[in-house]
Amino acid sequence: MSKNSIQLENISVTYPNGHHALTGVTASIEAGSICGLVGVNGAGKSTLFKAIMGFVKPSTGRVTISGMAVKQALKQNLVCYVPQTEEVDWNFPVLVEDVVMMGRYGHMGFLRHPSKADHEAVTAALERTNMTEFRKRQIGELSGGQKKRVFVARALAQGGQIILLDEPFTGIDIKTEDALIILFRSLAAEGRLILVSTHNLGSVPSFCDDVMLINRTLLAHGPVETVFTQENLVKAFGGMLRHHQLVGADLHDDEDKRSITVLSDDERPLVFYGETGGQKITKHGNKE
Amino acid sequence: MDSLLAFFTEPLAHEFMQRALLMSVIIASVCSIFSCFLVLKGWSLMGDAVSHAVLPGLALAFVAGIPLAIGAFIAGLFCALATGYLKENSRVKEDAVMGIVFSGMFALGLVLITKIETDVHLLHVLFGNILGITQRDLIEAGIIALLCAVIMLVKRKDLMLYCFDPVHAGTIGLPVRLLHFGLLILLALTIVSALKAAGIILVVAMLIAPGAIGFLLARSFDHMLAIALAASLFSCISGTILSYHFDTATAPLIVVIQAFLFLLALLGTSLGTATRTIIKA
Ligand SMILES: Nc1ncnc2c1ncn2[C@@H]1O[C@H](COP(=O)(O)OP(=O)(O)O)[C@@H](O)[C@H]1O
Ligand SMILES: [Mg+2]
Repeated sequence: MSKNSIQLENISVTYPNGHHALTGVTASIEAGSICGLVGVNGAGKSTLFKAIMGFVKPSTGRVTISGMAVKQALKQNLVCYVPQTEEVDWNFPVLVEDVVMMGRYGHMGFLRHPSKADHEAVTAALERTNMTEFRKRQIGELSGGQKKRVFVARALAQGGQIILLDEPFTGIDIKTEDALIILFRSLAAEGRLILVSTHNLGSVPSFCDDVMLINRTLLAHGPVETVFTQENLVKAFGGMLRHHQLVGADLHDDEDKRSITVLSDDERPLVFYGETGGQKITKHGNKE
Repeated sequence: MDSLLAFFTEPLAHEFMQRALLMSVIIASVCSIFSCFLVLKGWSLMGDAVSHAVLPGLALAFVAGIPLAIGAFIAGLFCALATGYLKENSRVKEDAVMGIVFSGMFALGLVLITKIETDVHLLHVLFGNILGITQRDLIEAGIIALLCAVIMLVKRKDLMLYCFDPVHAGTIGLPVRLLHFGLLILLALTIVSALKAAGIILVVAMLIAPGAIGFLLARSFDHMLAIALAASLFSCISGTILSYHFDTATAPLIVVIQAFLFLLALLGTSLGTATRTIIKA
């Protein structure tokens, strides 16, 4: 079997109300790595996910998953999806273990009667995400981090090779974030394709191998080191970022020209240190 | 003790009461099952719309000489589909579109019924006539209700997942469009089955209240189903029997009992929350 991949060819999405959410996105994403999908709110991250899953129909272009049409790939349970917290109805009467079991429906027969293998997969997924002790909780009775982990557990129970995570780091504490990053790393190392959307810049270099910067179209795509630059980020985020810079004269008493640039939205700030810098000095404004 | 027993057995001496009770059990079951999906999907207004929209279908079916249930079903489904189509293809919000479509259809139905000579009794259509149920009504409603109930129970996990997370349902290869339209068809069929007994206006209550009670009290979906079913059966049976003894309209009494149960559930849960907060504090 060939390596898992997602091929996007000239994807454009226009919503029925006439909004052009995405235009001409062409990219190829390979398994075995973590790819960050980075863009401001409204950039089209969730829309791109939904196009990959066939939930919204692209007005132009084509999505190919591991060499197959989307529909065929979905039939094979290849794609797992972890929704954005805002898209879930947390009052819904389901227990944690019920949600994780939903990941197994595609493996079950007509009546969706869980087999022994299904129960085992659920237990294993709960363990791997440290959610075992909460399995009998109703999903509304969980903290922000636990809420995320339920859906990650569902993806694990489903066992797909391609995992799409929509803003898994929003509204969770640093400890949970680090635990999730370790989990994603090991999933990628097992040969899965991990695509994570985030508007949280600071953590991107620490866990992504590749990044796609989007703002209603694909602005840049490639390895973090070459693509995740100050210039590209300012292009992607425009005026949405808080931009703080300390130039050489404020940092050093010598002739050193290097400066510190702190880019932050509202979570982990991103820090650049080097000679490419502007002139403005502002106070630090980030939370941490 | 004897008099208590007689309280239940005496009404059953009449054939019309036997039919009424059987009918109330049938519609209590099918309405309560559907109401769980309706409440979770947030389709209360849709239920209201589809039930009102069946009226012109009844009138036209009478003119065409086809079974009224078929006319009602087609009109109800037409309302749901027209709403969906107009929402997709205009900038008007769904609730506004729905309001226009169903009130327009309801009004058309009223015009037709007052203009054409039909044996469709307006008051019975609006509020039901469970004491006047015939053998044939019973069989018709029973078949439709059984069909709906079996489909909903057998496919409840798929339907529940569709309500909870349609995107995930799609990614694991479930036929999301089929589930969506299936749910709309089930809605129209459920309404048609309960129409003779509960009427256009009151069927909406039977489609919302049991699910809402279950939603308040349950933590998992199967519990919600069980609670909704129990609440619905209790109110339908007790409402039918009480209405016999106190000589009141039946369907309205059932709805009053359901509303009362809902209030009790609401009171119970908010008291529960309050005590928990006090204990914590
Ligand atoms: N169902 C929809 N109908 C119309 N517009 C939508 C819909 N979903 C999203 N949009 C719009 O598309 C744009 C991109 O949204 P989204 O993909 O959710 O952005 P992101 O996930 O990057 O925050 C936004 O401007 C949003 O308002
Ligand atoms: Mg989003």
